[in-house]
Amino acid sequence: MKVTRRDFIKISGATATGLVVSQLGFDLSPVSAYAATLRIKGAKETTTICPYCAVGCGIICHSKGGKVINTEGDPDHPINQGALCAKGAALYQWVNNDSRLTTPLYRAPGSTSWKSVSWNWALAEIAKRVKDARDKGFIKTNTKGQVVNRTESIAHVGSAALDNEECWTLQAMMRALGLVYIEHQARI
Amino acid sequence: MTNHWIDIGNSDCILIMGSNAAENHPISFKWVTKAMQEGATLISVDPRFTRTSSKADIYAPIRSGTDIAFLGGMIKYILDNNLYFREYVSEYTNASFILSTKYGFRDGLFSGYDPKTRTYNKSYWAFEMDSKGIPKKDRSLKHQRSVFQQLKKHYSRYTLDKVSAITGTPQSLLTKIYRTYAATCRKGKAGTIMYAMGWTQHTVGVQNIRTMAMIQLLLGNMGVAGGGVNALRGESNVQGSTDHCLLYHIIPGYMSTPSTTWPTLADYRKRRPTSADPLSANWWQNEPKYMVSFLKSMFGDAATATNEFGYQWLPKVEAGVDYSWLNLFDAMYKGKFTGFFAWGQNPACSGANANKTRQAMAKLKWLVNVNMFDNETASFWKGPGMDPKKIQTEVFFLPCAVSAEKEGSITNSGRWMQWRYAAAKPPGKAKPDGDMIVELFEKIQDLYRKEKGVLPEPIVNLKWDYTTKGKFDAHKVAKEINGYFVKDVTINDTTYKKGTLVPSFAFLQDDGSTSSANWLYCNSYTEKGNMAARRGLKDASGIGLYLEWSWCWPVNRRIIYNRASVDLKGQPWDTKHPVISWIGDKWVGDVPDGGWPPMANPDGTPNPKSKYPFIMKEEGFAHIFGPGRPDGPFPEHYEPLECPVERNLMSSQFINPTVKQFESELDKRFTCDPRYPFVGTTYRVTEHWQTGIATRWQPWLLEAQPQQFCEMSEELARLRGIKNGDQVIVESGRGKVTAVAMVTKRFKPLKVMGQTVHEVGLPWCFGWVHPKDGGDSSNLLTPSVGDPNTTIPETKAFMVNVRKA
Amino acid sequence: MADKTFFIDTTRCTACRGCQIACKEWNQNPATTTKNWGSFQNPEDLSFVTYKLVRFSEVVSDGELRWYFFPDQCRHCIEPPCKDIAESLGYKKAITKDEATGAVIFNEKVKIKQQDFEEIKDSCPFNIPRYDAKKMAIAKCTMCIDRVSNGLVPACVKTCPTGTMNFGDRSQMLALANKRLKELKAEHPKAQLLNAEDVRTIFLVIDDSEKYYEFAKSHGPLGITRLVAMKKLISPLVRLTGLKG
Repeated sequence: MKVTRRDFIKISGATATGLVVSQLGFDLSPVSAYAATLRIKGAKETTTICPYCAVGCGIICHSKGGKVINTEGDPDHPINQGALCAKGAALYQWVNNDSRLTTPLYRAPGSTSWKSVSWNWALAEIAKRVKDARDKGFIKTNTKGQVVNRTESIAHVGSAALDNEECWTLQAMMRALGLVYIEHQARI
Repeated sequence: MTNHWIDIGNSDCILIMGSNAAENHPISFKWVTKAMQEGATLISVDPRFTRTSSKADIYAPIRSGTDIAFLGGMIKYILDNNLYFREYVSEYTNASFILSTKYGFRDGLFSGYDPKTRTYNKSYWAFEMDSKGIPKKDRSLKHQRSVFQQLKKHYSRYTLDKVSAITGTPQSLLTKIYRTYAATCRKGKAGTIMYAMGWTQHTVGVQNIRTMAMIQLLLGNMGVAGGGVNALRGESNVQGSTDHCLLYHIIPGYMSTPSTTWPTLADYRKRRPTSADPLSANWWQNEPKYMVSFLKSMFGDAATATNEFGYQWLPKVEAGVDYSWLNLFDAMYKGKFTGFFAWGQNPACSGANANKTRQAMAKLKWLVNVNMFDNETASFWKGPGMDPKKIQTEVFFLPCAVSAEKEGSITNSGRWMQWRYAAAKPPGKAKPDGDMIVELFEKIQDLYRKEKGVLPEPIVNLKWDYTTKGKFDAHKVAKEINGYFVKDVTINDTTYKKGTLVPSFAFLQDDGSTSSANWLYCNSYTEKGNMAARRGLKDASGIGLYLEWSWCWPVNRRIIYNRASVDLKGQPWDTKHPVISWIGDKWVGDVPDGGWPPMANPDGTPNPKSKYPFIMKEEGFAHIFGPGRPDGPFPEHYEPLECPVERNLMSSQFINPTVKQFESELDKRFTCDPRYPFVGTTYRVTEHWQTGIATRWQPWLLEAQPQQFCEMSEELARLRGIKNGDQVIVESGRGKVTAVAMVTKRFKPLKVMGQTVHEVGLPWCFGWVHPKDGGDSSNLLTPSVGDPNTTIPETKAFMVNVRKA
Repeated sequence: MADKTFFIDTTRCTACRGCQIACKEWNQNPATTTKNWGSFQNPEDLSFVTYKLVRFSEVVSDGELRWYFFPDQCRHCIEPPCKDIAESLGYKKAITKDEATGAVIFNEKVKIKQQDFEEIKDSCPFNIPRYDAKKMAIAKCTMCIDRVSNGLVPACVKTCPTGTMNFGDRSQMLALANKRLKELKAEHPKAQLLNAEDVRTIFLVIDDSEKYYEFAKSHGPLGITRLVAMKKLISPLVRLTGLKG
């Protein structure tokens, strides 16, 4: 297809002038500035898999100084071949997000607010409560006298966004504690 | 998915029903588009015209909850017009099996029903056996009690008149879709189904999917490229977390949770039926090896033959008791639990009947919530209608890392286990879930070691060596998931050294000499390395299997049931898209469903060394007749628990006769109630994920989809005096939400049994915590009633009213 | 580097809005506060911080319901009227055209008076330029000139799953556009390429362009108003002056 500039030529002689200006090496400062500062130049590339739906698209995280500075589709990934939807394309903002909570919190009975607590305190307190609830609620045998060794006083839901290795470990913990009320996203 | 994402590109006809793939699995459309470019037809069936529908060659509206009627009509069309794949149906499915004389179906009920318990005695649905204990077959499919003839009889009732009256879909569209889809019965043609929660979230959810699976079998679409039954799963690792069984009824690898039915390991070992047919692989007969290997992974050296490998340390569920989601929250509502973990989930918005869920949490003594952002579960005590001072629940919030801040694998819907790496450290004190799990459990172990307590053995003996330098090490777990030889083992003259990784589940043993935390993943991390981390792009198959990219369960098989993609001699039905082919002495292509030779020799004589292709079934044949389901061997149309019609046009059984209903004051039902005249449904949007817990906090995504909305037809809007953009109140018998009205041509009133039925829909990605003007969860409206197989709640069809705010 | 062109095949667009967000991400543009205004389209319009916007349009065409998606952005006109008018107004460095790619680039560092911006905006047949009154600056799609200059495709193109967004040498894009047009013509007689000869962002639509968006297509000679034309006639003088400076 032949490219014509007829629409413009009809109006004015601006076209010719424009060309001349370009050829004279007119100062293209914004362009050269942009070109020189590709913000991912020299960044470390780490591959990841999109955390949203289960298509499993590949994403590359560009990072500098330990901070993720850009995320975009992994062009080598055979499923998405570099493409991403709105959510996948926004991964950067999940990682770099001021609204993320970054410290364990505790809300006491009847309290109207959270307070920040240490990991050590939070996990130790949870551990105590788990043991207490388990020991008090443990069912060794059912009404027929069969050994059942289960904990019905604690329930668990969740994990569909965890890694496989975390999921396995999590279920191992919950089952070792005797939980039977173990459910997650697949049920809803 | 039996197949995988790229494989959609091989299809000739794509039915998207019970899913809105363009919006909820957007990158699937890369492959849908590819198929369409190569001539495939895209069909979209949905109550609402969606972004998926906008790309479809054929769009048909349907009333929510009537998919079995729609698909039952397709079965009738296929059978009436002899459009089934004759050889496939008679050789690979149980269509030729003869049913016992006890099987019957009358007026919506199968034989064996007990109205008192609302359950079936499934022994009424058995097959007739020959003297050796093998099901009798009539390959001519003419026997009156053959599955095929009973199928014909069952669906003869699904006439176009009735189907159209029930579904609201015009007859002309029904016929057009039936004709188009049934055309994939031809050799070399494949049709695929992409479904999601639009099919599962019903009181007939499993039977919706079974109806389609039956169609796929009739058309010969299982096992082939561009075919299959493809569940589009909604969370990045909901497949993997299901495989590892964070569910009450199964333990890793889809083995049943120990139950009082099997008091000892010896009982458990015997629980799988044996097949008398030498041609049936009956793969599940290997379960004892997987169970013992699982126990070895759980309890390590403490698991020995003398202590049943620790079988008694696993909790046992009570036979017949359902501990699933709806029951869990019903129990919580009744004050049964002391403590509760909501680990990476926001049940305050995600569960049906959210008011009940939220009130239930107020009865807890303590709650642990793991998440990245504040959410409606963690902060339930200050939510709408709550008085924090009166709520005695202690809440611990634990901040976690995001996906890109930790290393490990996730499994996509196509069963690909893909490794990912940490690109940055979590901010502040946030930490990966893995670290939280090991640290918490170490503290619990310490307590049990120091203070004693009830039955400490499972806790102190749990193998818990998954850290390196004090940090959770995903590689160590991944290797354990694969499994080790825990002593020197000699198999077929090869000795495998203690401490080496097991090459695949075929090597697992039932004597305690191997471990494997999940047999299905055995082969994923071997002495050859971390298979999930592979990035090979060679595709020798030519159909996009990418066998060297990551790893896929089972044993890197990309299309399961692929031995049904070939004829009896092992030659592919579809020569353009061969999944596997037998070339003289071996299979080439995908990893076959077992390496046995084809069913027939080149001269057509049967090969006794072969096995039937459907290896996970006891008899080796795919189930057109499915006697294992609690709600019937053939899918039958029943109305949703809440619906706009007064009777079921198909029978006098109004709703699924095996559904369990809850009785609390928050579990009311409103059918044909003038207060709630419109059908309601819920769905997701591209821009948000699940309850929106992650995405509502992301300004770019919130900008693109900022507030709760309710889509409705122009007709309904006129009826209620609502204009586009108005604030409206949507209410059901359980709750109400405020939303922005989106008045659209994409919803149309349907003619159902002669009356006009309006339907509205809302996304469920919003919640009161953030943004403040975003509206609350549409699950405040949905009922807590579930499918009798899965107990997945019926959040896709319920009754509401809509009025101007 | 040959001159570049986008080819946007709207028939393949599913409105996943990957492009809209990828544009925000690459350019690190902040989100704006939005409301649901009865549409999936949000933000409602392009802005100083929104260069790429998928427009949604529900229409009944030939008795059939259609939902059209139009991933709007700067057309990078071959002869950009915005540039001419800016120069005629004395802003010689505000808008430039990259010689290598043909990208039309707004320089956000050049302060522009609101009334002058209005003239620049009016000169655009596609209603693209946007203004930030505080910064007194104009902004729009940059063709990801930083990426393109470094051998990468624009972020919106990279992220598109369906082949809606295409980018490459102009000759190749024109060939692709014409091939797709030919394929679609049989079934959709109204199929057309919008202003293909005059722009570097060529949209393919299958219906009247107004059914997608009011400014999808320029009618007449790229919508240059009489006023703009008058200004252009006197502009060479301004430019020559500028050259000296």
